[in-house]
Amino acid sequence: MTTQQTRPSLDDPRIAIPSTSEWYEPAPTAQTERQAEFLNLRDGEMFINMGPQHPSTHGVLRIVVKVNGEQVVDLDPVLGYLHRGVEKLCENADYHQAICYTDPLEYVASLFCEAAPVAAFEKLMDVEVPRRAQYIRVLTMELNRIASHTLFQGWMALDLGGITPILWSFIERDEIVDMLAALTGQKLLYNYYRIGGVNGDLNHEFMSRLGNWMSRAAAQIDSNTGLMNENELFVRRTRGLGTLDQATALRMGVTGPNLRATGVPFDLRRDHPYLVYPELEFNVPTRDEGDSLARYMVRIDEIRESIRIIDQVLHEMPDGPVMAKLPRLIRPRPGRAFGAVEGPRGAYGVYAISDGTDQPFRMRIHDPSFVHLQLVGPLTRGNLIADTMAVMASLDPVMGGVDK
Amino acid sequence: MDRALASVLQERFGATLLAPVRQRFDETEIRVSIADAIPTLRALHDEPNFAFEMLIDLCGVDTGEEMQIVYHLSSSTTGDWLRVIVPGVDRSAPRVNSLVSLWPGAEWMEREAYDMFGIIFEGNRDLRRIYMPDDYLSHPLRKDFYLADDASRSPAAGVRNMERAGTPADATRATALRKSSGA
Repeated sequence: MTTQQTRPSLDDPRIAIPSTSEWYEPAPTAQTERQAEFLNLRDGEMFINMGPQHPSTHGVLRIVVKVNGEQVVDLDPVLGYLHRGVEKLCENADYHQAICYTDPLEYVASLFCEAAPVAAFEKLMDVEVPRRAQYIRVLTMELNRIASHTLFQGWMALDLGGITPILWSFIERDEIVDMLAALTGQKLLYNYYRIGGVNGDLNHEFMSRLGNWMSRAAAQIDSNTGLMNENELFVRRTRGLGTLDQATALRMGVTGPNLRATGVPFDLRRDHPYLVYPELEFNVPTRDEGDSLARYMVRIDEIRESIRIIDQVLHEMPDGPVMAKLPRLIRPRPGRAFGAVEGPRGAYGVYAISDGTDQPFRMRIHDPSFVHLQLVGPLTRGNLIADTMAVMASLDPVMGGVDK
Repeated sequence: MDRALASVLQERFGATLLAPVRQRFDETEIRVSIADAIPTLRALHDEPNFAFEMLIDLCGVDTGEEMQIVYHLSSSTTGDWLRVIVPGVDRSAPRVNSLVSLWPGAEWMEREAYDMFGIIFEGNRDLRRIYMPDDYLSHPLRKDFYLADDASRSPAAGVRNMERAGTPADATRATALRKSSGA
C-alpha cells in the first residue's frame, strides 16, 4: 500500500519563488543631512555590511562601510543590538538593585561600572566609606584594570591576525578573574560594591592567590608584552595608523588611555581624586604620537602602574570595618550627584537624581566606549577595510557599554 | 569644593544665571536658560581662567513637568566637576540648540537624548535614532513611558510605576506622572 504524496515536487508551479528584487530590502531613505551624504554613492563606490556578528567587533556592532575598491570612504556604525534600556530599568529599581543592573554594561571590567553609581549614590546619601573599604575598592579596581588591559592586548593582536597573544593574555586574566571570584563569588559580574562599603572583607583564598600572582606578575607581563612590542609586523602595522591629534581628541570628548596617547595627562584618579588615590604614588603614562601603537603602549604602561598601586595598597591597608552604618532601605534626600571613576577605557560617570523615594528618579550612565566609537569613522577614512578593525581594536570599545 | 570657582562664575555670568551657583562635594552647578546655554558653554571653554575643555557628559532629564539638558564639564584649572543645567525645555515640543559646533563629540550623545526623550537639537546634522529602530515611535526614557511587564500581579502592584495594577495599556494611559523635586 502506498502512502499519499503530500510534499509538492520541486517543479510544482504552486511554489512561488519571489523574484530577486524582492529578496533585498529597499535602500533606506535618508532622515538627516549627514545620512543623505552617506547614502549618496559616487562612481566606483559601494556599501559593504560588516557585522553585527563579526568576530572582531568586540560585541554586537554593525558597521555599514562605504568603500571605493579596498579603500574606506566613509562609514556609519549602527548601534542598538545590545540595547537593554539599563537607565530605564534603574529608574524602576531601588538603589541596591540599580547597582547590579550596571554590572553587565562593561562585562570586561565590571567593577568600574559598579563604582560609578556607588560613588554617585554615596554622594546623595552623604555617607563616608570606611578606609579599609576604600583600600579594598582600589585594590580590586586595579586588579580589574590589569585584567581588562591584558585582554585588550590579546584582542588587539587577534584583530590584526595574530592568534598567540590572546592565549597568553588569558593566563593573566584567568588568574585575576579566579582571584576576584574567590573574593566576590562571581567571575565576571561581581556585584561587590555596596553603598557605603563592600560586600565582605578580604578572605584567605583571595590573599594567597594574590600573593602568588604578585610574586611573578611583573615578569609575566613583561614576557607577554615582549611577544608583541618586539614583533616587527605588529609595530609596523600599528605605527602611524589612525592618528588622533590632541585638539581633536579633546573636542571629541575622548577620555582615558585614548586621550593620554595624544599627550594629555588627564586621569580622574589625579584630576578629580576619589577614594584613597591622592595618598598613593603613581605616574600617569602618556605618549605623544596618538596612533594605534601609542594607544597600545599607554595601556601596557598602565598595567605596570597598577601593579605599583596594588603593592602600596597591600602595604598600607588599615584594619577596620568594611561597611558604613546605613539603613537597609535607602531613601536619599532629593538632590543630584555625579560620580565618576577612571576605568580602563576612560571616564565612567553616573548622574543620579533622587526624588526622596527608594528608587533613583533618573540615572544617567556615561560610558566612554560610546564616545570613542564615534572616532572609528574619522580615523579610518582613507585607510583600508582591514584597518577599520585595527583602529577599532586600539580604541578598545566594549559594546555592552556602548549600547547600554 | 572649589570656593573660588563659585565666586568667579557668579561674577562672570551673574546676570544670566537662573539660580545662584550651588556647590556640594566636588560638584559646582549653574543653571542657564535655553538661549544662554551655548554662549555660556563657549565662554567656559574659551576663557583661560575657566578652560573647561572637556565635555564629560551630555544628557537629557525629564522631570515630569519639563525637560532639562545637563552638561558635565571638566577643566585642568579646578578639581571640581562643573554641571550646567538648562531647565525649562518644553515637554510637549522639546527643542534646544546643538553643541556640536563646540564639541563635535556631543553628536552621539545628542542623538541618544533625541532617541530617549525626543529632544530636537538644532544644528546637529545627524539627529536620528541611535539605539531604537528607525520605525520606533515613542521615546523610552520619558516619564510617561511605562515599562510593560507582568509585575502588576505582584504584592507591590500600584506602589511603583512599573508595578501599577492593570494591563500595560492602562499604565500608558495613567495620568499620574512621577515628578521630581530633586532635579
